Amino acid sequence: MRLRELERPPDPLWIEGDAAALGAQAVAIVGTRRMTTYGERVAREIAAACAAAGVVVVSGLAQGIDSAAHRGALDAGGRTVAVLGEGITLFLATVRGRRRQLVPRIRANGALVSEYAPSFCARPWMFVRRNTTIAALALAVVVVEAGQESGALITAERARQLGRPLFAVPGPLGSAASVGTNALIASGSARALLSAQTVLEMLGLAASTALPPRADPILEALSAGALDADALRRRVRISEGELAERLLRLTLAGLVTKTPDGRYCGR
Amino acid sequence: MCAAIVPHPAARSVARVAACALWGLESAMVTVEADVANGLPSFTVVGMPDAAVSEARERVRAAIRNSGFEFPLRRVVVNLAPAERRKEGTGFDLAIALGVLRATGQLTRDADALCLAELALDGTLRPVRGVMARVRRAMSAGVATAFVALENAAEAAALGAEAVGFASLREVVEHVEGRARQAPAAAPAPAARPRHPVDLADIAGHETPKRALEVAAAGGHSLLLVGPPGTGKTLLARAIASVLPALDPDEAIVASAVHSVAGLIDPERPLLGARPFRAPHHTASHLALVGGGSPPRPGEVSLAHGGALFLDELAEFSPAVLETLREPLEEGAVTISRAGTAATYPARFTLVAAMNPCPCGHAGDPGEHCTCLPDAVDRYHARLSGPLLDRIDLRVHVPRIAYEELREDGREPSRVVRERVVAARERMGARLAGTGRRCNAELTVAEVRRHCRLAHEAETLAGEAVRGRRLSARGFHRVLRVARTVADLAASDDIRTTDLAFALLLRAQA
Repeated sequence: MRLRELERPPDPLWIEGDAAALGAQAVAIVGTRRMTTYGERVAREIAAACAAAGVVVVSGLAQGIDSAAHRGALDAGGRTVAVLGEGITLFLATVRGRRRQLVPRIRANGALVSEYAPSFCARPWMFVRRNTTIAALALAVVVVEAGQESGALITAERARQLGRPLFAVPGPLGSAASVGTNALIASGSARALLSAQTVLEMLGLAASTALPPRADPILEALSAGALDADALRRRVRISEGELAERLLRLTLAGLVTKTPDGRYCGR
Repeated sequence: MCAAIVPHPAARSVARVAACALWGLESAMVTVEADVANGLPSFTVVGMPDAAVSEARERVRAAIRNSGFEFPLRRVVVNLAPAERRKEGTGFDLAIALGVLRATGQLTRDADALCLAELALDGTLRPVRGVMARVRRAMSAGVATAFVALENAAEAAALGAEAVGFASLREVVEHVEGRARQAPAAAPAPAARPRHPVDLADIAGHETPKRALEVAAAGGHSLLLVGPPGTGKTLLARAIASVLPALDPDEAIVASAVHSVAGLIDPERPLLGARPFRAPHHTASHLALVGGGSPPRPGEVSLAHGGALFLDELAEFSPAVLETLREPLEEGAVTISRAGTAATYPARFTLVAAMNPCPCGHAGDPGEHCTCLPDAVDRYHARLSGPLLDRIDLRVHVPRIAYEELREDGREPSRVVRERVVAARERMGARLAGTGRRCNAELTVAEVRRHCRLAHEAETLAGEAVRGRRLSARGFHRVLRVARTVADLAASDDIRTTDLAFALLLRAQA
């Protein structure tokens, strides 16, 4: 197993779910907890493309990009492995909100993994080791969004040390959530990831589904992040009634969702 | 030892004076009966008085003595009939005093009027709350004259009753005896034309939020504005007062009566001229919001009856307090039950709420960076429960706007929007004629089925929406009511696809 390439492989490794998922071809998709809607969309799309090509998506089930990656893989019907930074039992007892809903799905389509005893409580240093495990489990590592001091940069550094191909998603200049990833690209330690195809080709796989073409002007306008109705109308330049109707049809088709703060976001 | 009073030939053994009891806005005429009989000196009030009414004995005794009359050293019994319901408040003081004076012959004529005032120990008349509702009841019971404290005179005269204001108990007696008649108070000046501090023309940009505000004002639908701090959510919410149609007379009476019970009326202009706009702070308790206490007082939801209730920083309200809004939002009234007493207050208001998108306020704000973790944002939104969100019809984002928009001219003033709202309300009124209800938010399920006809294409879309978004039956009916309002604003009889799409898109629960 790839974990043996580590100087000190985690032993024992606690697994809940399908242990075989750990041996399969895998790509790690990690990133900041403070993601933007852009980062969320990209993480989900890359994870979905990997899952559709049969590649397991490995991540850390943290808030933000990690959760988006797991969800993207699961929604596309693929398998995903969550490497936790604390004991599995303790994590299950304390996790709340959206991540809690992901747990049973991950267990059924992949595995929850931890190198710590089930009731081991989380300490900061444990997450650093967890990041090493994530890098080791995957054949390639993708950093979607990372701030200046994001933990995802530790995963990137470990991936480099292990010789894993490292990809970073370029982000808008000035966005705090993309400072780390842009710096990785600028320094040459990571390749800029322009589509999931880049990773899959490196694994010798053809992307079965390329990123969906954004022919619809509304989806096009929403691809950079969530917008409110007025901003959307300024971009698309159609009448209020027509925008409402088309936006509603996209919503019903599952291509657009309404955020809790009343804006619209593509998926 | 025996009382020095020589009974006047016209003295009655039992004197009767008209008064009125109030429970919430429900009222009933009360006959105050006073009997003075031989026996050990005592003064008893029976007929389910509460503490304030029982204490009237001490005030009445002192007021009678200090007004130059004599309190009988005999056995005095006062009964508040009908005796089966608890009477509250200090409004019975004057009636009890006149009853005692009449029974002892110190007053030789019956006071054929509703007597409604509190007595000070020196015989001065003090104003009481809830005069308007009680005078209205007396008028319908055939008592067209009211004796009240000077401060209450305008309020009592507002509905057309002959209201006489007095400064003291002595004046009331002189008036009834005919020795010094007081002129009835003139009907108060009509309420001034409301002036609105915020006009829609003052607000730049925000096309969709303004449109949602117009729909909310026209149909009485509830609206939630979400956006970063400083983008104009509060200004928008306050602008709703400027686009609501004028109060019609019936609504004005009920709204004024609620304010009268709460003691919040302007003594000079007792009838409300503008629709109420209430904005309780987010630390408000549920008693403050829906009413309560003993005796039950109206809360903010009732004070907002006929107008708008603005809850700024909605997510900062205590979740338990917000849940108490569910009943008034659904029923349009609040019933407060306490041991031995229950009060019902009307509470049909347009809810306008505002909140930040996340605890730091900057989620989704292109100019600022949000420092909240996704779970914290989820928790923030989870403070609003599903059942509450289900009752919020419109949820719009109020974004930070660009400088170009700030400078833009040619914004629509509130006057123009109000004209559309009034026209839409007229269409609604014609539909609801004779039901006592006024706007689309109040349509019953049967009326929704009858009046919210969908054009053919819209019907297909509605089917898709219900299946695709797993809309509840209540949710779907709420969408139809909003769509009806959007169509009314466009003067359309049928609900078109775009009307339905707008209503579905702006619905709070995604």
